[in-house]
Amino acid sequence: MIHPVDTILSLVLLSVLFSYGSSRVPGLIKLLAFQGIVVSVVPFFIGHDMSAGGIIFTFVTLLIRGIIIPASIYLAIKKVAIDREVEPVIGYQASLLFGLGLIVAATYISSQLNIPNISEFLLIIPAAIALLVTGMFLLIARRNAIAMVIGYIMMENGIYLVGTTFSVQARHIVEFGILLDVLAGVMIMAIIFQNIKKTFDDVDTALLRTLKE
Amino acid sequence: MVEIIFLAPFITGVLAFFLPRAVGRQLLVGTGAIHLFLSLLLWKNRSLPVFDHFFAVTPEGLLSLLVISLLFFLISIYTMGYLKESDLKSENIFTGSMLLFLSTMTMVTLSDHIMVMWIAIEATTLASAPLIYTHRSSASLEATWKYVIICSVGIAMALLGTVLITLSMDIGNVESALSFSALTQVAKALDPMWLKAGFVFILVGYGTKMGLAPMHTWLPDAHSEAPSPASALLSGVLLNCAYLGIFKTNKIMYAAGLGDFSGTILIVFGLMSILAAATFILKQNEYKRMLAYSSIENMGIIAFGTGIGGLAAYGAVICMIHHSLIKSSLFLSSGNILLGYGDRMIKNTGEMARLMPKTFKAFFAGFAGISGFPPFGIFIGELFIIVGAFKTGHYVVVTIFILSLCVIFAGLANQVMKISFNDLKGGRNDEQASDKQILIKEKASLVWPQYILLLTSLVLCFFIPDTLYQTIIDAVTAIGGGIK
Repeated sequence: MIHPVDTILSLVLLSVLFSYGSSRVPGLIKLLAFQGIVVSVVPFFIGHDMSAGGIIFTFVTLLIRGIIIPASIYLAIKKVAIDREVEPVIGYQASLLFGLGLIVAATYISSQLNIPNISEFLLIIPAAIALLVTGMFLLIARRNAIAMVIGYIMMENGIYLVGTTFSVQARHIVEFGILLDVLAGVMIMAIIFQNIKKTFDDVDTALLRTLKE
Repeated sequence: MVEIIFLAPFITGVLAFFLPRAVGRQLLVGTGAIHLFLSLLLWKNRSLPVFDHFFAVTPEGLLSLLVISLLFFLISIYTMGYLKESDLKSENIFTGSMLLFLSTMTMVTLSDHIMVMWIAIEATTLASAPLIYTHRSSASLEATWKYVIICSVGIAMALLGTVLITLSMDIGNVESALSFSALTQVAKALDPMWLKAGFVFILVGYGTKMGLAPMHTWLPDAHSEAPSPASALLSGVLLNCAYLGIFKTNKIMYAAGLGDFSGTILIVFGLMSILAAATFILKQNEYKRMLAYSSIENMGIIAFGTGIGGLAAYGAVICMIHHSLIKSSLFLSSGNILLGYGDRMIKNTGEMARLMPKTFKAFFAGFAGISGFPPFGIFIGELFIIVGAFKTGHYVVVTIFILSLCVIFAGLANQVMKISFNDLKGGRNDEQASDKQILIKEKASLVWPQYILLLTSLVLCFFIPDTLYQTIIDAVTAIGGGIK
């Protein structure tokens, strides 16, 4: 029987494929919001903690990952960007092909690993690996500064999925700390790319190439 | 109440954002003094933290804490003079971020919980980013962007590593607190495969922050673009803080009987960093970047020594302490050079021995110290590492190690000679040469901090107080080091 968690995670895998082909920043932000919501509700479905604290924590995570972070990036681009093209270093078709290969590879790897807590859920490990690698990919293969930040948060989403599902111990305080850290990090990045925009009148990171050996 | 040590600078740091600039400067020195006093008190009493799930006073943490305190106090005195000479637009952001930076770094040294450690290290990135952007130029913007992105991705890797370590607990069916000290006790029961994977990710993550090659690319930019007091802090203590994360994970690995595995990886990364520094230092034309590459070299030496273990691990800790003292003094001197010549390129400097004799003495002595000359402490540290490596039979790697040190010494010496003795542009006999005046006077607050730092290194070379010696031994015994 297919577990509901696997159903929503299959949508995450689809969204990952979308992000390889997406050429516009607003589209990427929507994907990010969707992924943020899914990764924050998955532990709830798995049934790790149904306590009151657990429920509140899930909602706070959802609020931060699914709404506040994407919204703050969206506001930042509203303020600064005229050019919202992600400016690929690697073309979209090649990226999509890479994404497909990645999902196949991630599924294969997940069948090799044996992690008792989540052995009944087929898609958690593939989804986590796909989010992680896609985040990395966006960081490397897109020259737009905002796309890079989105890549970073996508990576964090993947790690969060690993962290909340692999391990049974509830560590709410600490996970909350991580959330706040990521949030602060995103704020700082938003300030920096507003400054990049002000200084260079663009957010293309190719302009940031003067400091190198 | 150990937590007061990082709460105090946090509060004053937040205050400094809102206070006028003159008050901010005094707040900096005042907080530095209080911090130094509190950490000396902690050395004496070793009191227990209130939140003992999250924080603990460990020997390696105490060592780093004392280094941070001493450095920050001296750097804050220097900063008073530096801020008077240079004209910063938003000085209260600078002082506030310095204090927050101090607070987060102190938190790293005291944290015992693996996630709190992670949060604290990420917080150091966020607190120091505004420092690098202080000058508001496009180059400093680029350096800040690089720093935040590369370090955040690195730290994300470390988070993944941390999660994998908790996974190794689950698979090994271990019930324990998530703190370094608790995990070290139950290390034998942890699942070795996931523990190894966790260590690799943590090493890559914190190694990025520590400046190990090939993840070091942010470091020369950030160190050269930040104002000199901030560079001194970045190089002198931030790198140690990241090293602390690796050190503590290595402790778990050693307790789990996987010391050989982690040691080999540390040796490889260490050697790579030393080699990378050697290649880039030779043709460096900016003195602050040159110092930054020298930091990469020293972090490589520390990782190398830790990886070899035994006597070399003791040497690595010695190197860590003395590198902080000497490198921060060098960065402060480089601040004087920058203020004096108004230029960061080596070719536009010269005749420092005549024009700025006091800075010259500090800079040259620092250069001798960082290259491993006696009577400065790095000499002893490197000697221990080399002897330790020969004793354990690492002949090939130690040969590469010694050769690269020679190359780096040659590169550094070449540049330092140019800065100190070369004729200034325009020639000596030319009338213009005497026109080229130094832009600042060498006031006491701009040179004494360097002298004190170097003097401390000198004294520690000949005489180590018993408590300090015992603390170093306690720290390195946990990773199989010691003086035998």
